[in-house]
Amino acid sequence: MLEFRNADISVGRTGILEDINVSFEKGKITSLVGPNGSGKTTLLQSLNGLSCVKGGEILLEGKDYLALPPKERAQSLSFFSQLRGGAPNISVRGLVEHGRFPYMGFSRHLSAEDREAMDRAMEFTGLTAEADRQVSELSGGMQQRAYLAMQLAQDCPYMVMDEPGNYLDLPGQRELERLILCLKEEGKTVIVVIHDLSKALRISDSIVVMDRRKIVGSGTPRELPESGLLQRVFDCRIRPVETEEGIRYLVE
Amino acid sequence: MKKGASENSRIFFLLTALLLILLLFLGLALGSVSVSLREILHALSDPNAQTANDVIIRSVRLPRVLAGLLTGAGLGAAGAILQAVLNNSLASSNTIGVNSGAGFFVMLSMLIFPKNPAAKSFMAFLGALVTVLFILCLAYYAERSRVTIILAGITVSSFLTAAMNLIKTLDDSIVINSLSFSIGSLAGVTMSSIAYPAPGILLAILIASLLGKALNIMNLGDGTAMSLGLNAGFFRIIYVLLASLLAGCVVSYSGLIGFVGLIVPHVCRYFVGHDARVLIPASALLGSVFVLTADLAGRVLFAPYELPVGIILSLSGAPFFLYLLLKKGGRRVNA
Repeated sequence: MLEFRNADISVGRTGILEDINVSFEKGKITSLVGPNGSGKTTLLQSLNGLSCVKGGEILLEGKDYLALPPKERAQSLSFFSQLRGGAPNISVRGLVEHGRFPYMGFSRHLSAEDREAMDRAMEFTGLTAEADRQVSELSGGMQQRAYLAMQLAQDCPYMVMDEPGNYLDLPGQRELERLILCLKEEGKTVIVVIHDLSKALRISDSIVVMDRRKIVGSGTPRELPESGLLQRVFDCRIRPVETEEGIRYLVE
Repeated sequence: MKKGASENSRIFFLLTALLLILLLFLGLALGSVSVSLREILHALSDPNAQTANDVIIRSVRLPRVLAGLLTGAGLGAAGAILQAVLNNSLASSNTIGVNSGAGFFVMLSMLIFPKNPAAKSFMAFLGALVTVLFILCLAYYAERSRVTIILAGITVSSFLTAAMNLIKTLDDSIVINSLSFSIGSLAGVTMSSIAYPAPGILLAILIASLLGKALNIMNLGDGTAMSLGLNAGFFRIIYVLLASLLAGCVVSYSGLIGFVGLIVPHVCRYFVGHDARVLIPASALLGSVFVLTADLAGRVLFAPYELPVGIILSLSGAPFFLYLLLKKGGRRVNA
């Protein structure tokens, strides 16, 4: 379980979030939803050091996450970042190889296990054929996949994804969804920021809702629409629709 | 494509290494007096030989080619490091104020200890270090983004240049010395003036190349680097310190040679790609080739007059760089 306890989080010297208490259950898919500027990214970036925790603590399976040595952190939790600088001048394979950095010794030599993880990650994201192309030459969606492949190669039990669906086309979105469900099957814990509410309701085990820099509630996809919280926060209507695959939610 | 890239690197390293050997030989052989290969070998193999040519080779030309080699390697590698670590294709030891910091301190030492050349190289390194620490602190308090480091560097650099000019204005006695210093020249370099800087330069290049993987990862941005288990802030400081060590060492004996640190990494990137583990040694090699060529040209073209290497480098470097920018449409040249 990943747990924020009374966490005060700031970006630079500006305090953004105060007294955040939220936990993400192990082996489940938890979506983090909220309007733009509600603090989702700030909250998650406390995990990769871009925002800093000024008070309270973050516990990963009971251990103080921020006190872990950097490599151990990187072996237990991987982060897919929404905001990135320009595309790096590196091949797809090179980028995916970076995902194995937490496991490399000083010689930076790739083990057979590293290679296997890289190949698997590229296959999973459909990038095997593009392995030798430069990331900067790829389209936005393909770049997104390349970063996803890097995160997969990192092979951590906890995976945080900040809007992984950006730039992806419809088949890409579907594959991403399958991928996330697949990761859960493998026993991974997935924490994902999603803007598409009906998708969040479809794939999540649990949904955490943020609004105006606060956690305003959480619940399972069954409970939440009934509580009316999502409708209030997003000013929308949610209608359950019976389909062959079970209940789906129509968000308007 | 990957195979092609590493093939390119191999050819690049082979050619520049051959060129470097040729330039070292020409640097020893050519000048106001031309010397044959046999005389060179004679002078180098027998430290007691005392003919005029032996003395010229051992105490004038050998220190000079070695200094050229080290200058180019140091500035080239420093440029490659800084451009990567600050993720800015305009970065070089000039831009972040290290050169002028070292220069200012050297000028101070000319003022305070006019008779002591050893003080000069120590003060240069100290100046580079103090300036870079000051800039890092500034950038840290202003939330240490990469842009702040460059802006702070440019500001501090122009302040220190003004301070150097002030010293020149106030004290006429160092004007003659300081002219060749602010242009950058290898004339008058002795073995003792490169004795301390040399190991510093070689060591810094070696360490920076070995740590290259970290530099590659930092290029993905601080957040991604941190989530991969790399402390980007810490490594940024290490790299900036290595670059200032390189620049400080070079400035201590050669003065303010411009342009090498800026251009060389761009040229190298075109041939060997962006991997810092390859790019740093490549920039060191090609930097040496640039400086030795320029120094040789300065000695030979207008013999018996001599042009300082700094002038040649800036005169030929600037148009060459503009040509590169235009030819590549600015795309591949951009880091």
